[in-house]
Amino acid sequence: MKLKIAFFDMASCEGCQLAILDCEDIFLHILDLVEIVEFREALSETAPRFDIAFVEGSINREMDADRLRDIRARCSWLVSLGACASHGNVQARSNALSPAENLQRVYGAEACHTVHTDPEYWPLWAHTRVRAVHQVVKVDYHLRGCPVDRHEFLHLVKRLVAGSLPRFARQPVCVECKYNGNECAFAHGETCMGQITWGGCDAICINGGYRCDGCRGLLPGANLEAHRALLRERGLGEAEIDSRYRLFCSADVGPQEAQP
Amino acid sequence: MRGFLTTRTAVLDWLRTLGQQEDVFFPLPLGENSFSFDKVRQHSRLAFEDFDAAPGEKPFRASSCVQPPGKKLSPNNEQIFRFSKNAHGEYQLTPTLDERPRIIAGLRPCDLKAIHLMDRVHSDDIADAHYLTRRRNTTLIAHDCLQPCDEHCFCDATGSLRWRQGADIFLTPQPEAKLLLEALTERGERRLDDAGFAPCSDIEERRALAEEKRAQPFGRHFDAPLQRVIDTVSDSWESPVWDKHVERCFSCGTCNLVCPTCYCFDVQDDYNIDDPDSGQRSRRWDGCMLEEFAVVAGGHNFRPQLAARQRHRIKRKLAWLPARFGDGSFCVGCGRCGHQCTVDIDIFDIANDLLAATEARP
Amino acid sequence: MTPLDFDAEVLTPRMARIIEARDMTAQERFFRLQLPRPLNHRPGQFVMASIPGIGEAPISISCGPRHDEQLELLVRNTGSLTRAMHRLQAGDFMGIRGPFGSGFELAEFEGRETIFVAGGLGLAPLRSLIEPVLSDPQRFGRATIISGCRTPADELYREQMQAWARRPKARVIRLVNDTAHQPWDGEVGLVTAPIAKLEIDTPNTLAVLCGPPVMYKFVIMELAARGLSNAQIFIDLERRMRCGIGKCGHCQINHVTCCREGPVFRFSDLESLPEALT
Repeated sequence: MKLKIAFFDMASCEGCQLAILDCEDIFLHILDLVEIVEFREALSETAPRFDIAFVEGSINREMDADRLRDIRARCSWLVSLGACASHGNVQARSNALSPAENLQRVYGAEACHTVHTDPEYWPLWAHTRVRAVHQVVKVDYHLRGCPVDRHEFLHLVKRLVAGSLPRFARQPVCVECKYNGNECAFAHGETCMGQITWGGCDAICINGGYRCDGCRGLLPGANLEAHRALLRERGLGEAEIDSRYRLFCSADVGPQEAQP
Repeated sequence: MRGFLTTRTAVLDWLRTLGQQEDVFFPLPLGENSFSFDKVRQHSRLAFEDFDAAPGEKPFRASSCVQPPGKKLSPNNEQIFRFSKNAHGEYQLTPTLDERPRIIAGLRPCDLKAIHLMDRVHSDDIADAHYLTRRRNTTLIAHDCLQPCDEHCFCDATGSLRWRQGADIFLTPQPEAKLLLEALTERGERRLDDAGFAPCSDIEERRALAEEKRAQPFGRHFDAPLQRVIDTVSDSWESPVWDKHVERCFSCGTCNLVCPTCYCFDVQDDYNIDDPDSGQRSRRWDGCMLEEFAVVAGGHNFRPQLAARQRHRIKRKLAWLPARFGDGSFCVGCGRCGHQCTVDIDIFDIANDLLAATEARP
Repeated sequence: MTPLDFDAEVLTPRMARIIEARDMTAQERFFRLQLPRPLNHRPGQFVMASIPGIGEAPISISCGPRHDEQLELLVRNTGSLTRAMHRLQAGDFMGIRGPFGSGFELAEFEGRETIFVAGGLGLAPLRSLIEPVLSDPQRFGRATIISGCRTPADELYREQMQAWARRPKARVIRLVNDTAHQPWDGEVGLVTAPIAKLEIDTPNTLAVLCGPPVMYKFVIMELAARGLSNAQIFIDLERRMRCGIGKCGHCQINHVTCCREGPVFRFSDLESLPEALT
């Protein structure tokens, strides 16, 4: 029997689901292996149970957390899909501000007044913090990145279909960067997050001549102290370094001081 | 063995011509400050330094060449076999052996020695058919160094500077923009016979001329002779030096992956999405500095401490593999690991610190 | 470079048909395989077992030396490959390379008494030596088998051990850490416990250990207390080999490769290998 898979989106741009739909050249072959039972980007049906749930997006509101718990109860494997689900992504930067401050800064005083006085709106803002999926329910696998890497997605699906388990090496971006024979970003004066960032992306940004901005999250146990010192030596100020570290992973590294 | 003398331009033109018939890998610029052994095309801009080149004028620096040339003999994601399964569940497995002829040209003595050491490793005990098949079909055209590549070089300290073994053809810079070409193997002879260069009658004098020109001292030198370094590293187990050199380490594996004598690998299987009954097994480069390298089934890690992994790497290069193969240092002094490391952790400094720590020991 | 003849299929397995597959416990599955040609292994050696398309891993050989084409493996479900192996049935195929490693020299055990100490899955590799030793009581001395596991439900080779206990010159001590309210006809405790009470002909005894790394230190202390020297103790170490031919680097312990010089080591030889047991 084919594995049933389902996709769900929380607070996100849905770019990760699009990245998966982008497997169009092989999508029909994937459908030979699995049955997609819920996928708002491509399907309208819903299913009571499924084998793999892919959850895209961060958890911003309590109602999202409830929905997520319901999804967890209906699946065998729950997979966080992309940077928002895996570590909060850019929206988690708002964790550094109170909801009221956030609202005012984004929409100005007038809108702020409307929201505060309208019972329909305020609950949407009254969240305490943006959470990654694993901060609410147990996550079996993380598909990291902004967006996810389609090879990792395929690896996960193919392994589970075959009765095996996926394996995501716990190693930094530098490994694949060296596989690809790239010139190190530091060798041409750039500063890079590769040494402290989860690999698995094939070092795609450095391959393209850019640097790693850390969209796949901090590698557990990464030597942040040494990395911070290195960035300082390369002329970055503390605020800039902080900003780099929390660009994609604020939910992981915890609330940080606000940017002016 | 025979020698020939011709102009640099003639040699580079010859390589370009060969590049039209088979894969010729030559060090070409990569990015702003790096090099890569890439396939020579008709209009590739190939260069060797002049006989009179000042230090820093080399068009190639080993330490800035991210992937050592020897990696062409065991490429990343190298396929080991292909398989297919029939309706009865029976498998057909076909080992993948790459027999295409190829040339690696312009490699330096340090990388040449590294390939010699890899030949030893892969033919030791149970031989590695995949490496040896590629190696047998590869012509090596090495080029001497009369100046160190840069401040990272310590090839002379590790006994690599005058290495020639394993090369099919050895090139030595000569005055007046010329090169001495020596055939060191029958394969090299055949190649040079076909090339039609003018024979050289005074090979010994030409070699001596280059030797006289060679920088002295050449690159960095350890604070003690190589054998003392090897003895010291062999005898160092508990030492604060190991801890000192991992304070800034990211455990990123770069030092392993750029090293010309690192050959560890991990094995990966995959099946084809369009035909799940077929697929392949392949291997990819791995490194003992990476956290999960010594993890066994069930999750136990036999080398969880970073300092222990660093010690393992250094002892392989400067103690254990030298003892096993009796072919000198497995560090060839190319300077890659120290230069490619973003926090400058350099095997050269570690060795010197171990020497100093041993001296200081009562 | 000296020209060399090499085996083009050194890293390519030959496919063995599974002729028997059954779950021995919830975690361990037993396989009997039919190889295309005899393996001719020594006790203590291992094979690289695989499913093409999924992966390959080192698995200890769990049957004694034999001259036919059969091979027995006991596979614990610990990861991506072994999980898939647990779905394999009789009639399916498994890839096999090897045998690899030094293994035990049977001659060394001739006329000697042997104490086997197995923790959990460690019984599987030891069985490759227990079988030949017990089957030739003229050639080998008394064999004591101490096998421990967590609960009765985790016990491996139960009927086999009961049969061993009936062999001449055999003693079998089966232990669990915890009966977990299950029926149990053996002892309760750790594998270290029986050693102090054993009747041992110390100078003529060898001990062979296989189990989780935490077990070794305490078993060795007990054996040392009974007067066994480090040279009389053998340990079967676990490492995660990727190739079996001394190339991949993963099983290196200090200056030796576990796949060639091991995985069976004399304990006195491990003194120069500080990373062996940690």
